[in-house]
Amino acid sequence: MSIVKTEQLTKVYGQGATAVTALNRINMTIQPGEFVAVMGPSGCGKSTLLHLVGGLDQPTSGQVLLDDRSLSGLKDDDLTTLRRRQIGFVFQFFNLIPVLTAVENTALPLILDGMKQADAHNQAEVWLTRMGLGDRLSHRPDELSGGQQQRVAIARALVAEPTLLLADEPTGNLDSRAADEIAALLRQISHEWHRTVLMVTHDPRIAAHANRIVFLKDGTIVDDTRLSDDGQYEERVVREKMAVMA
Amino acid sequence: MFHIKLALRYLRGRKLRTTLTLIAIVFGVMIIVGFNAILPAISQAIQGNLSAMADEVDLTVSSETRGPFAMAVADQVRQVPGVAAVSPQLVRPMALPASQALVNKDGTAVTLLIVRGVDPATVTEVEQISLADGRLLTAADQNAILIANSLAQNTGLGVGDRLTLPAATGVMDFEIVGITSGRPLQGSEEVFIPLATAQTVFNFPGQINTIEARFAANSNADTVRAAVLAALGSGYKVGGTTTGSEFAAAMEAANYIYNMFGVIAIALGGFIIFITFRTVVVERRRDIGMLRAIGASRKTILGLILAEALILGVIGTAVGILLGYLMATGLLTGMQSLLEEFMRTSVGSPTLEPWVFGLAIGLGVGITLLAGLFPALAAMRVSPLEALRPSLAEVERRRAGRGAMVGAILIVVAFLTLLPGTVGLAALGILLLIVGLALVLPALIYPLARIFGRLLSIIFAREGQIAQGNLTRQPGRAAITASAITIGLSLLVAMGSLILSMQGGMMEWVNTTLGSDYLFMPPSLVLGGGNIGANEQMAADIAALPGVEQVTSLRLATSQIDGTDLQVIGIDPVTYPQIAGLIFSKGDEKTVYAALGNGRAIIVNGIFAAQNGVTVGDTLTLQTPNGAQTYQVVAVGGDFLNFKLATGYISQANLAQDFNETTDMLVMVDRAANADAAQVAAGLQQIAAGYPAFTFYSLAEWQTQMERTLAAFNGMYVLLIILAIPSLIALINTLAINVLERTREIGTLRAVGATRRQVRRMITAESLLLAATGTLFGLLTGLWLSYIMVGAMSMVGLILPFSFSYAGILLAIAVGLGFGILGALIPARQAAKLDIVRALAYE
Repeated sequence: MSIVKTEQLTKVYGQGATAVTALNRINMTIQPGEFVAVMGPSGCGKSTLLHLVGGLDQPTSGQVLLDDRSLSGLKDDDLTTLRRRQIGFVFQFFNLIPVLTAVENTALPLILDGMKQADAHNQAEVWLTRMGLGDRLSHRPDELSGGQQQRVAIARALVAEPTLLLADEPTGNLDSRAADEIAALLRQISHEWHRTVLMVTHDPRIAAHANRIVFLKDGTIVDDTRLSDDGQYEERVVREKMAVMA
Repeated sequence: MFHIKLALRYLRGRKLRTTLTLIAIVFGVMIIVGFNAILPAISQAIQGNLSAMADEVDLTVSSETRGPFAMAVADQVRQVPGVAAVSPQLVRPMALPASQALVNKDGTAVTLLIVRGVDPATVTEVEQISLADGRLLTAADQNAILIANSLAQNTGLGVGDRLTLPAATGVMDFEIVGITSGRPLQGSEEVFIPLATAQTVFNFPGQINTIEARFAANSNADTVRAAVLAALGSGYKVGGTTTGSEFAAAMEAANYIYNMFGVIAIALGGFIIFITFRTVVVERRRDIGMLRAIGASRKTILGLILAEALILGVIGTAVGILLGYLMATGLLTGMQSLLEEFMRTSVGSPTLEPWVFGLAIGLGVGITLLAGLFPALAAMRVSPLEALRPSLAEVERRRAGRGAMVGAILIVVAFLTLLPGTVGLAALGILLLIVGLALVLPALIYPLARIFGRLLSIIFAREGQIAQGNLTRQPGRAAITASAITIGLSLLVAMGSLILSMQGGMMEWVNTTLGSDYLFMPPSLVLGGGNIGANEQMAADIAALPGVEQVTSLRLATSQIDGTDLQVIGIDPVTYPQIAGLIFSKGDEKTVYAALGNGRAIIVNGIFAAQNGVTVGDTLTLQTPNGAQTYQVVAVGGDFLNFKLATGYISQANLAQDFNETTDMLVMVDRAANADAAQVAAGLQQIAAGYPAFTFYSLAEWQTQMERTLAAFNGMYVLLIILAIPSLIALINTLAINVLERTREIGTLRAVGATRRQVRRMITAESLLLAATGTLFGLLTGLWLSYIMVGAMSMVGLILPFSFSYAGILLAIAVGLGFGILGALIPARQAAKLDIVRALAYE
C-alpha cells in the first residue's frame, strides 16, 4: 500500500494565452517510510506538487490519493481535519506565531484538534525534547536561532503523529551548519521514527540526505533515483544528476 | 479558551496599537455614559416637587397649569361631602439673590427657599407641623416666619432672629418665630409664612396655588377625591405644584444631541477598529495561512479574530463606563458653580440608569464585534498557501468599477437632498455623501494622486513620484485611509463650525432680545426658576426717572396644552419691540407685535413648535386659571433666555386677564438720546437697590457677563481634538500596513541606492498625498455636516446664522496635512530603519 499516489496530476495556472502548466500528468507513488526529495530548477512545479499533495490547492485534473483515499471532492473542512491529523508541514520561513512560546507553538495542532491544553503541552514538550530543545521550552521565536526555530516547526509538524511530513525548502533560510542538522533530523524522522517525508529543496547537499530523489522539469518528472539506504553521503551523485538535467 | 489566550497574546504583543484602538472605543462609551449620567442629576436639580407634605395629607389639589388660582376654589372643596377641613396655600420657590443668600456655617450658600404661604387658622387642621422651638404662626402674624431645623442648624439662625427676603414689593423683613422639625426637602429649605404675606411677596393678591384637605373620619378617600375633582371641573389635579417641567423638552433635546455625539464617536471608533483589524489580518496573513495549513478550520480563524475584537470591546467598554462616570462627576462639580450662579439650584451626584449600561455595552461591544467581523471574514478566506508562497504586493486592477458608478450616483442624489432646504433630508444626504465618497474614492485616488503629486513633486522631487505610484497601485487601501481622514476632519470642521456659529449666534440672540441700554436681571436666568420679580411699581418708578425713554418687561405664567407644559411670557406689544425683539423663524416681524395686541394671539418658540408640530395659523387651547382659552399662533420665534424651554409669548394684557399675572420678572430700559448716561445709571441703580431680587446691568456689563458665560463653549474644542485622534490612528495603521507589505520592495530600493532619508521622505510623501485627498473631502463633508447641525439647532428653536470661517478652513487644512506628516513619522522611521539584507530575505 502506498502512502502517497498521484494519478495524471495536472495543475494549470491562468487561462487562455497566459496559461502556465505547472504540473503535467504526474504519476508518482511514495511508500511508507520513504524520504523523498523533490528537486529541479525554479518554476519546475516542485512547490505546486507539495501543495497539491498537502491538500492546500486543487489540481486542474488528475488526483492525489493519500492512503488510497482520493483528495478530490473532499470539502474544505474534511481537508482541514486531514491536514491536522495526517500531515505535518514544515515551511521555509518556519511560520511560528511570534507571540507564543516554543511549547505553545508546538502544541497548536493538538489544541486545534480539541485536546486539553495540559495534555497538548505535555506531548509538545516530549517532541521538543526529542528535537534537542528541552531547555528552550518557554522561549519565544525571537529568542531562538534560525535552526532552533525550524526544530520547533518540525516538532509542531510531528506532534499530532502524522504519517506524512511535507517540507518546503526547510533549510532555505538557514546557514549551512544548521541546514545540515535539519536535514539529518529529517532523515532520522524517516529512518528511525518511520514517518514518510516529502521534501522540496534546490540544495543537492540537503537532497543527498534523502533516499529517493525526484527531478522535475517543466512540470514533468524527468528522473526518479533511489540512493543507497545506508545513510552514505551521496552529494556527488546528486550533483552529477543535476548537471545532466541542466 | 485557546482563542482568548492567543488573542490576548497578540494584543499584548502590539501594546501601542492595542492602546490606540482601545481609546477609540473608550471615548465613545465615555461620552454616552458621561452625558447620560449627568442629565438625570440636572433634571432632578431643576424639577422639584414644591410640597414635601403632598403625600402626607389626605388630599392636595393644584392647578394643572401649575399657576395660581382664586381663593374661592378652596371654598368649593370645603363644600364637598366627606371633606372635613381645607387649608388654602401659596407655595412657591424663591431664588435668593447673591446679596441675600443665607450663608451656611461651612461657607456654602443657601440659594433657594421653598416658601409656603399658609393660612394660620386652617393649616393645622389638615397637617401636623411639629416644632423644635418657638411657636406656630397665628392669625395676627404678618411678618413672622417658621424655618426648618436643618436651616437653623446650618446657618445658626434661631427664634427671635430677623430674616430679610426679596419680595415683589422690594424686600420684606421677617422675624423667626418658630423652628420646624419636619423632614427637609431635598436640595432646598422650606419656610412657612402667613398666606396674606406670601400673596404680597409673590404679587398674587387674593390667589393661591395649592389646596390641602383632610377627609372626614368615616369617609372613603377615593370617593371623596373623585368628588373634589368633579366639583372643581377640568384644570385641576391631585398632587402638589411642581416646578421645572417646562425643562422636559430641553432635556430631551440635550439628551438627543449628546447621544448623537456619542454614537458618532462610537461609529468613528468602529471605523478605527475596522482599519486596525484590516491591518492585523494583512500582517498575519502568514500566521493565518500556517494555522490553516496545520489544520485550523475557517471557523477557528474567524473565532480568533473575533475573540480579539471581543476582548477589545469588553475592556474598552468597561474603561469607558468608568471614565464616563468620572467625567460626569467632574462635569457636575464644574457645573455646580454655573448652576448656582445662573439658576440658583444645586445638583446631586451622577446617576447611571440600567438602560445607559445597556446602551453603552451594546454599542461598545456590539460595534467592536461588527467592525472586527469584516476583517475576520477576510481572514477566514486566507488560503493556507499564504504560509508557503511569497506574496508579492499585487497591483489592484480595479479602477472605475460598478462601486464607483454607484458612489457617483449616491453623491449626485446627496446634493439633490440639499435643494428643498429641509434639515432631515440634508441629514440623509450626508449619509449618502459619505457612503458615496467611500465608494468613489478608489476610482478618484489615481487622478487625485496625480494632481496632488504634481504639487508634491515641488518638495519631494524624486520620492513624490514613487509615492504616487505606490498609492495608485492600491487604490482600495489608499481610499480607506483617505476616508478615515475625511471622516475625522469632517467632524472637526463641522463641530468647529457649529461651536463658532453658536458662539456668534448666541451673542446675536443676546444682543437682539436683551439688547437694551440697561437691564434688571433676576437671580435665576431661568425665569420660572424661583424668581420673585417685582410688582408694577418698580417699572413705574423707572419710567418716571428723568432721562429714561422707554421701559419694558417680561412677565411669566405657566400653562398646559393637551397635557404638554408651556411657559407663557407676557410682553408689551408696543414697548417691547422698541427696546428689544424676538428672533423669528416664521411670521412677519412688522405685523406680529400688532397682532399680539389684538385678541388672543400667541407667538410660540422653535422648540415648542418643532416638538408639537405647531405652525402659524394654528389655534392652541391654553389651560389658564380662568378656564381654557383659545389662542391663535401668529408667529414662531423666541428670545435668548427661553429658547431651550417650550414657551409662548402673549400680550401682558392677556396675561393679566387669563393668568392673573402682573409681576415683572425682567425689566429692560432705554435711555433718551440726549440724557446723561451717568445720571440715568445712578438713578436706576438707586431703584435697583430697593429691589435686591434684581441685578442691575448696563448693556456693556451684561455683554461682558454673557461673553464670559458663552466662553464655556470653548471647552468643546477639547472634545474636538479628542475626536481627531481616531483618524490619526487610522492613518498610522494604514501607512504601517503599507510599509509592512512592501518590506522587500523597500529593501530593494535601499539596495539599489536609496538613502534612508529618501525612504523616509517617500513614506512621508505618500502620507501627505493621502492626507491631502482626505482633507479635500473632509472639508466638503464637514461644511455640509455643520450646515445640517446648525439646521438641527434651529429645529430645536435655536436659530443660528451659519458662520463659515475661513480661518477654520485654513486650520482644518493645516490639521489635515499635519496629520499626514504626524501619521507618517512611525512608519517612515520603521521603513528607513529596515536592514537591507533582512528586508530582501523577507518572504
